Amino acid sequence: MNTSSNGYVMGFAIGVCVVMSAALALTATSLKETQQAAAEFDRQKNVMMAAGLVAEDDRRPRAELEKLYTERVEEVVVDTADGQVAAGKTPKDVDAMKDAADKKRFRVVAIAKGPDGKPQTYVLPISGKGLWSTIYGYLALDGDLVHVRGVTFYKHGETPGLGGEVENPAWRAQWQGKSILDEQKKLVGVIVKKGTVDPSIPADKAHKVDGLSGATITSNGVTKFVKQDLMAFEKYLAALRRH
Amino acid sequence: MTATSIPPVAAKSSLLGKDQLKIIKDPLWDNNPIAFQVLGICSALAVTTRVDKALVMGIGVTLVCALANVTISTIRKFIPNKIRIIVQLVVVSGLVIVFDQVLRAYMFDLSKQLSVFVGLIITNCIIMGRLEAYAMQNPPGRSLLDGIGNGLGYMWILVVVAAIREVFGAGKLLGFQVVPQALYESGYVNNGLMVLAPGAFILLGIIVWVQRAISGYVEK
Repeated sequence: MNTSSNGYVMGFAIGVCVVMSAALALTATSLKETQQAAAEFDRQKNVMMAAGLVAEDDRRPRAELEKLYTERVEEVVVDTADGQVAAGKTPKDVDAMKDAADKKRFRVVAIAKGPDGKPQTYVLPISGKGLWSTIYGYLALDGDLVHVRGVTFYKHGETPGLGGEVENPAWRAQWQGKSILDEQKKLVGVIVKKGTVDPSIPADKAHKVDGLSGATITSNGVTKFVKQDLMAFEKYLAALRRH
Repeated sequence: MTATSIPPVAAKSSLLGKDQLKIIKDPLWDNNPIAFQVLGICSALAVTTRVDKALVMGIGVTLVCALANVTISTIRKFIPNKIRIIVQLVVVSGLVIVFDQVLRAYMFDLSKQLSVFVGLIITNCIIMGRLEAYAMQNPPGRSLLDGIGNGLGYMWILVVVAAIREVFGAGKLLGFQVVPQALYESGYVNNGLMVLAPGAFILLGIIVWVQRAISGYVEK
């Protein structure tokens, strides 16, 4: 057999590609459900991490953590247009609307409760553009709805080692205790500074965290979408603060 | 890609005879892909901050290397010479994608942390090197052993580097605290260099040095 004839080479190349793509399609479809379940659990774990219910490297088995989530976390759908809890809508409805034009109007807030059943922290979904990708995360606010309890970023496609450092636990730990309102009760959000925070400047100490070196666009993106998302939730949060 | 010529075995040798054992043992020490051939360094620096990451990465490379070796070796007589590298790449990337998908389904946390480095197994020189140097000339059985041997040779170095980095960089081993709290209270601090890539580079250099000092290899 002449294995160097053009016809043979073409045929062989096509054959290899067809066999390989069939094998890959089969693996991808058969694993899809397990992958989605794993991603959903990861999301729940991030909500609990932001709320401080579980530690970063919690070693408890998955079933136990899932149980903790159902016991301690309640998901409510908030209509950001009027700041009210949208009665009758479930988080599933919100998922189904992700292609709608006003897809960011109805949003799911996770309320983490203490052992006594009282709301302790409010976990808000945040998302927006970094450099390469949309970054998804959670920002948890303390019961006073002014101070940050914690933040997590669970899905992104930023450069590992640069923008990907949004996942770095040491960097995220700086967010804790930052105030999203200034002294005049105006919304400022949390600002990712260029450079490091100088604790002797009050505005820095209250609202800013260190910049991610080598990732200016990711840092600016985080600052921007955190503020935008907080702005969207402000009506809801202000109503809660008055209680 | 040092093509160490292995004498052809008699057709009727047992499945795991002396020759076969040598195929597996050789890359573990005398012909180690990292220490001797200095291949696959990039991922060795990137994924060795923790032992569990290094283990999963090592298992991935071993599986891909072994299966790719078998596949290429089985069809080696039909692969047109002109496109052999591309065919090898298609097989390797297919296997890597399958491995990545399985990780994403069953070890989501680790797959997130390994991020791009699982995909980068495709470009790992060890795998391409073994396909070109070994699987293209040898029967499937021996290629399988060669793939396993080289994968394990890569894995043990990774795990050693990762163990040293995790203990000195984070005070942990496989995620469990091993440096006692009392030591921290008396002023001990974790070594920040170990967490960063340069720490891995220095460690790897030392390991190559020690390995070569013992095995007596001299660069010609």
